[in-house]
Amino acid sequence: MQPRGFFAQIWYTFTAWGPQLAKGAGITMLIAIIGTVLGLVVGLAVGVIRTIPLGKHDGGPARRALLRVVNVILAVYIEVFRGTPMMVQAAVIYYGLRQALGLAMSPLQAGLLVVTINSGAYLSEIVRGGIESVDPGQDEAGRALGLTHWQIMRGVVLPQAFRNILPAVGNEFVINIKDTSVLNIISVTELFFVGKTVANMSYRFYESYLAIGVIYLVLTFVTTRLLRLLERHLAGPDSYTLATSSTMPDSVIEPGGTTMQDALRLRHANILTGSRRAAGGTQAKGRTNG
Amino acid sequence: MAETVIETKGLTKSFGENEILKGIDFEVHKGEVVSVIGASGSGKSTFLRCINLLEWPTGGHVLFHGEDVLGRGFDTTGYRAKLGMVFQQFNLFQNLNVLANCLLGQLRAGHKSKEQARATAMTYLERVGMAQYINAKPRQLSGGQQQRVAIARALSMEPEALLFDEPTSALDPEMVGEVLKVIGDLAHTGLTMIIVTHEMAFARDVSDRVAFMDGGVIAESGTPDEVFGHPKHPRTRDFLSRFRQG
Repeated sequence: MQPRGFFAQIWYTFTAWGPQLAKGAGITMLIAIIGTVLGLVVGLAVGVIRTIPLGKHDGGPARRALLRVVNVILAVYIEVFRGTPMMVQAAVIYYGLRQALGLAMSPLQAGLLVVTINSGAYLSEIVRGGIESVDPGQDEAGRALGLTHWQIMRGVVLPQAFRNILPAVGNEFVINIKDTSVLNIISVTELFFVGKTVANMSYRFYESYLAIGVIYLVLTFVTTRLLRLLERHLAGPDSYTLATSSTMPDSVIEPGGTTMQDALRLRHANILTGSRRAAGGTQAKGRTNG
Repeated sequence: MAETVIETKGLTKSFGENEILKGIDFEVHKGEVVSVIGASGSGKSTFLRCINLLEWPTGGHVLFHGEDVLGRGFDTTGYRAKLGMVFQQFNLFQNLNVLANCLLGQLRAGHKSKEQARATAMTYLERVGMAQYINAKPRQLSGGQQQRVAIARALSMEPEALLFDEPTSALDPEMVGEVLKVIGDLAHTGLTMIIVTHEMAFARDVSDRVAFMDGGVIAESGTPDEVFGHPKHPRTRDFLSRFRQG
């Protein structure tokens, strides 16, 4: 017997379907987390390759020609996966691999693959922007020391780029929590799929969808706060300790003129505020369901 | 005369249609300190950046101990490790603390052991008076302090020559002195140095030779006394008189 009244009905949805909804939320978070992390790996690789200098004096002609071809392929990858809805990508990959290649993946595996590839396309552009946002002087200083492009990337540019893009990566993660809902098209039992099932079984559509809406909101809200804590942690301390050396230099010394204020100013300047919507331009608008 | 370390012959550099360097013949001998002066836009910095190939010259030659560094198969990266460079904007690695800034090049490009690299870094950090600050990040230091670390970073590679690209131009006036003092001290240690600068009194003090650049060529070159005391070229006279009037 179902209770009457709006709030009572929503509460009933939570209690009666609690385990299923929790499992759906779990699957949603699982796909969002793994998809974003793997997508970041893809994005880092693609972003790094796309920022390899291609000047006349960088490497031999064969290497440059190869890189140009790879760059074209990567550009196509990014355009295709940013320019089509993830729902369509999911359906094409899930059914396509099955029918064309006989490759039977579970919906969950296909879902992870789709989110990874899709996030990779967005994140590679974010990574590229992050790399390009690092002061060119950093690269020049590295080259002047006799470091190779890769040594500079690993030791200097990527650590700075990573900190700069962290807010954008967090943004991508939050978007993925919501956008995994499109995976219901291939029957991944994520939160939206569970919600739809509940709605169909209870004939309480409004209340069921509102219930999962609340769950989505809680998930993204908590995630956002946690990401902010992580950012603050990675920003590091504002102070430093003077080394206690027995050989105090007697020449020119001046107390460090900067502390809190400058550090804060710099940190704010460092944060790349561009969101994925901004990075993706108009095409990004094509992908919404959450 | 001592052995020639760096030599340029007919060096030219264009950015698109714009020819910045119009054929520069120049040489620096071992242990020599050469200052390059001239108005903004005369090509001083571009010239310096062409020497260690941060800019690729359009024409002419750059010789390092007589070897053409623009030649095919020349080890550009190894060559750069042998030339230190100090930038106008310091360009310290923002993600690394002071010590790590002085270690990275030594460990990656120099293949030294950690202990050796650290000892070398500390030697030069002490020389520039920044040994206390090894734990600080660049953003926590003043401009003068950052530039002194940048000098220690370059010295840590124990380069054959050191290039300074307007090392005090981005500094607040009260910090210019501390950096010039460090560079001046270095000039007396027998290091080979090329200094692009707007500090005329400093150039006159520390240099063995001064080159005056004008419109993409070296218009005049000689001892500080010759160039500052008895400039021959009318453009040099004009430039120096404008400087004196401030």
